[in-house]
Amino acid sequence: MLKLEGLHTFYGNIEALKGLDLTVEEGEIIALLGANGAGKTTTLNCISGLIPPRRGRVFFDGEDITGHSPESLVARGLIEVPEGRRIFPALTVMENLKMGAYLRRDQPEISRDLDYVFNLFPILRARAGQSGGTLSGGEQQMLAISRALMGRPRMLLLDEPSLGLAPLIIRNIFDIIRQINMERGTTVLLVEQNANLALKVADRAYILTTGLITLSGSAEVLMADEGIRKAYLGG
Amino acid sequence: MELFLDLLISGLTKGSIYALIALGYTMVYGIVGLINFAHGEIYMIGAFIALIASLALSQAGLAGWGLLVSVAAAAVVYSAMYGWTVEKIAYKPLRGSSRLSPLISAIGMSIFLQNYVQLLQSPNFLTFPSLVPELGFLAPVSHIVNSTQLFIWLATALIMTALTVLIKFTRLGLSMRAVSQDPDMARLSGVNIDRVISSTFVIGSALAAVGGLLIGCYMRQIDFYIGFLAGMKAFTAAVLGGIGSIPGAVLGALVLGFAESFAAGFISSDYEDAVAFVLLIVILIARPGGLMGAAQTQKV
Repeated sequence: MLKLEGLHTFYGNIEALKGLDLTVEEGEIIALLGANGAGKTTTLNCISGLIPPRRGRVFFDGEDITGHSPESLVARGLIEVPEGRRIFPALTVMENLKMGAYLRRDQPEISRDLDYVFNLFPILRARAGQSGGTLSGGEQQMLAISRALMGRPRMLLLDEPSLGLAPLIIRNIFDIIRQINMERGTTVLLVEQNANLALKVADRAYILTTGLITLSGSAEVLMADEGIRKAYLGG
Repeated sequence: MELFLDLLISGLTKGSIYALIALGYTMVYGIVGLINFAHGEIYMIGAFIALIASLALSQAGLAGWGLLVSVAAAAVVYSAMYGWTVEKIAYKPLRGSSRLSPLISAIGMSIFLQNYVQLLQSPNFLTFPSLVPELGFLAPVSHIVNSTQLFIWLATALIMTALTVLIKFTRLGLSMRAVSQDPDMARLSGVNIDRVISSTFVIGSALAAVGGLLIGCYMRQIDFYIGFLAGMKAFTAAVLGGIGSIPGAVLGALVLGFAESFAAGFISSDYEDAVAFVLLIVILIARPGGLMGAAQTQKV
């Protein structure tokens, strides 16, 4: 469904990605793991169109989408939940959700999706009239995921959904990522620093080290491998 | 008492016109973080188009309210086109460069438009027709309020209401607010930023054009230079209220209109213009965020 071929990006003279290859099949949950500064967020931004790669290609559904604008990719169902959640702070929760459905015109279906996300995260229904900036970190993450779901994604790009959240809330959010994947068949590319957590929900994983994929394989194999656990997963 | 009432009325009238211009500054700043110094020139161009249209259309036989509405429509449409073009030529190519570049480009655009109108139209003051028909029911109080003033207040109030509805309740308004809060996230939600920016310039220019038409009706003369001072004052009003805030721009404009009017009446009309800028300095020292602006949380 998604294929990255030899991606190179630069920030000034610093090469952030050095020829990255990655594939995601339809219906999979893929974890992209790595230390701080390895290039995980850059990879997602390359896919979503925020930072077009200097070299290399991005394919979605077999079509070359390299250099396409983020708004055109949203229309194709490729939707990113960026790092730090990026809730519109002065819009209400409801308006944030409406922004997620910005490109859609099918009002009855939008209402159904609204019910769906309110059932996933009932707290958002209670907060619907409140401005986004007043939510707690966990609620903001729930809203960020819900906002993306309002765009009917075929593929979700999730950037560090666990960042700064309490363990209990993290578990809830990861359960729901799984649930979305099963119920709606949404493909997920998940960027995480918390490797143990990510490997529990993922089918396969890639490990990124300073701009290159150094390792990939099924989540179980990676979890079981003693050497890998020591090197990448903090024991 | 009579003097006080007079000053109140002229303050409200001027404040209304400042508000129409100040909204354009504050909306553009809210969306792209740019002070569009050519905005005063759009107001001036609006006044000139209104003058040209009124001459042409009254030749064609229009009169009364029909004439006023057609003139307003012409001024709004043409000025919106100017505003749209200014953005495409002077600002869009500079997006993503340092903050100073579009500012210099704005000043250049302002000087260009002044000279353009001076060369194409006239370097002199031109008489502007009184386009607002006399309202019969105002006759008993016409020494206090005339129909032009009443029309300016009502038109401004109506436009403010329409703008508020647009920003609060429409899809375009929602996308404008989203872009002003987080442009990248707005793109990741599917918003075409270029279109939102263009719409902002078009709306701001349309409001300024109405201001230009109204100032013509009120002062009864215009020249190519009226945009400079009015633009500066409206900019002051926007900063006074808190740049980026729409209710702030209206509040700042009214405060400025009253302050000028009372200074002219009670101190001396020589100080009328100075008051605006003294007020600006005081506000910037005492409350840098403006009257309704957020506390300064911007990271540098």
